[in-house]
Amino acid sequence: MSDAMQSPNRVIVALTTLALLVLHGLELVSVQPNRIVPGEAYRLGEIMGPFDAVLLSLPLLAGLWLAWHPTVRRLRLLLGLDVALLIALPWALAAFSLAFVDSGQPYARAGIGAGVWSLLFLLLLILIELRTRLNPTRGALLLVGGLVLGSLTLALVSGWLDTLALLREYASRREQFTSALLYHLWLVGAAVSLSLVIGFALALTIRSFTRLQTTTFGVLSVIQTIPSLALFGLLLAPLAWLAARYPLLAELGVQGIGWTPALIALVGYSLLPMTRNTFVALEEVPPDVIEAARGMGMSPWQIFFQVRLPLGLPVLLEGIRVTTIQAVGLAAVAALIGAGGLGTFIFQGLGQAAMDLVVLGALPILVMALIVDAGFSALAAYFRRGVVHD
Amino acid sequence: MIELQEVSKVFGRERAVDGISLTVANGELCVLVGTSGCGKSTTLRMINRLIEHSAGQILIDGRQIRSFNEQVLRRRIGYAIQNTGLFPHWSVARNIGLVPRLLKWMPARIDVRVTELMELLGLDPAVFAEKMPAQLSGGQAQRVGVARALAADPDILLMDEPFGALDPITRETLQDELLRLQSRLRKTIVFVTHDMDEALKLADRIVVMSQGRIVQQGTPQALLREPANGFVESLLGGADRGLKQAGLTRVAARMQPLGTSRPSRSDPSVGIDDSLRLALSLMLWHHCESLTVVDGTGRPVGTLSLHDLLKAAP
Repeated sequence: MSDAMQSPNRVIVALTTLALLVLHGLELVSVQPNRIVPGEAYRLGEIMGPFDAVLLSLPLLAGLWLAWHPTVRRLRLLLGLDVALLIALPWALAAFSLAFVDSGQPYARAGIGAGVWSLLFLLLLILIELRTRLNPTRGALLLVGGLVLGSLTLALVSGWLDTLALLREYASRREQFTSALLYHLWLVGAAVSLSLVIGFALALTIRSFTRLQTTTFGVLSVIQTIPSLALFGLLLAPLAWLAARYPLLAELGVQGIGWTPALIALVGYSLLPMTRNTFVALEEVPPDVIEAARGMGMSPWQIFFQVRLPLGLPVLLEGIRVTTIQAVGLAAVAALIGAGGLGTFIFQGLGQAAMDLVVLGALPILVMALIVDAGFSALAAYFRRGVVHD
Repeated sequence: MIELQEVSKVFGRERAVDGISLTVANGELCVLVGTSGCGKSTTLRMINRLIEHSAGQILIDGRQIRSFNEQVLRRRIGYAIQNTGLFPHWSVARNIGLVPRLLKWMPARIDVRVTELMELLGLDPAVFAEKMPAQLSGGQAQRVGVARALAADPDILLMDEPFGALDPITRETLQDELLRLQSRLRKTIVFVTHDMDEALKLADRIVVMSQGRIVQQGTPQALLREPANGFVESLLGGADRGLKQAGLTRVAARMQPLGTSRPSRSDPSVGIDDSLRLALSLMLWHHCESLTVVDGTGRPVGTLSLHDLLKAAP
């Protein structure tokens, strides 16, 4: 790439302009004396003087200037700037809470306002845009992720963020949070493992009985279209009946509400992507390769385990990835039928109009989905690498 | 030796192969040729039981192929196909070592064999052993395919249009390579192609098939001399037959040795192992009626005149 003058990177210019507007226009943070009383919201101008406010806008203005003639070197500088802002964000919040929240009052708290969330979102979008432009190495990406997460962790450990409403909610529900998190993970893990086993069996079956293909995918698609709440509701009556009829099932914990309908519904939703991807993974091996494998004298087992499975693994992992992300989100809805999990906080928060409680439930779900996405994508890329070199 | 006796294959109501009998002797390169759908590929695949024959008998070295376990049978028969069918997730070396591994050879022995085969096929082991199939050119991939087919040193090699997907230059190189290999290894080869020129070049014996039956079989020379019917004649290229025949005859067969003739300095030269077709082409190009025949080192050994070239085979 040349360092010649280029036309402005419109995406980054737009995002940075928006960030500037957000920084000055939206409420950034708020302070509440306790959870019930509505808080007092602060804009940038109310937190600091006009001179400091302009000073704080300088990095964004610099970003705007860099994006106007985006040479590779300037985009790298922009990346550094963006990462620096992301690193600084938790510390800015810490500085605000230390200055504005009365630490003498045990229930006083600082709320993260729309402005800060928007800023975080915009900065991440700029990061994504820079990633596609600069195409950094895996190591560089890990370094950026590590720096940002490291800064956040350090700020959390420092205790300076403890007066944030989000952390206040967490502090008063520490044990509940941990168990909800573990329960959520258990529910997702169980649903994905079960649907993997069932999906694999289904895929193998319809490979042998081709006439069943249309029916199977038809049924699975229909399940997929049932709204999640309706499916939970539909399962309520039959499960309650089963539990009443067979005490052994009741002893195992089978009820009309709770984990049983949640797990069944999650497995139901997971079956379509799981079965379809497994089926495609096993079918889409080039016919020449199978022909050669047979011609060389490999047994059907050897062909399955040494050829079909390894060649289909990336597609199979893709199926597990999609299914898991879907299950992570759906498991939140399952809280409505008493299945527990992180959804509990979301619905509690919605009921009490306590947005920070909603965020306490939603944020880990978001993080979980991102981790699953990144993890399985990397795994699939690793297995694909062997096949399509360069 | 491979023997097919009254072998048929029926798919549903269609007779893909209809009562053919064929014997391929040890060390013979037999080419099945015909238009697509004539049953040549089906015939080939019945020999290693990728397709089970419906009627008749197929014997290898006098033994019914149905008396073998099919996997054991296939591991004893080399198999190379048009699009190579290399395993895309395995390195070149691992692909070549497939059958020896299935036969549970010791790893050290497999390594030695793989290296030996790569050298035999003109693939530098240092460069290619760890490459993945996607990194190979079409010609290199097909060399690996042939090496894999030869890995366990089978007596029989089945090749299903192995060079069909290659560009003409690469195809020609690999055909020459196969002839060179065959003169050393003397395998029993059944080779399927729809390209008559390829058949004429490679075959000890050509078997022309049409609609599941054998129309004619014989040496390339015999086919050219006496095509059994219009179909064979059209496969042979109709009026181009003369040139094809000339392409199969070496200059050595028609030249006058030095004692009986005196080469002229102005005549262009032709190699003793070149074909009459090439000699004729040289005459046409240089507008002359005689050529000086030279040996491999360029030393004159005789002359070839247009008259010699045109006279009937002795």
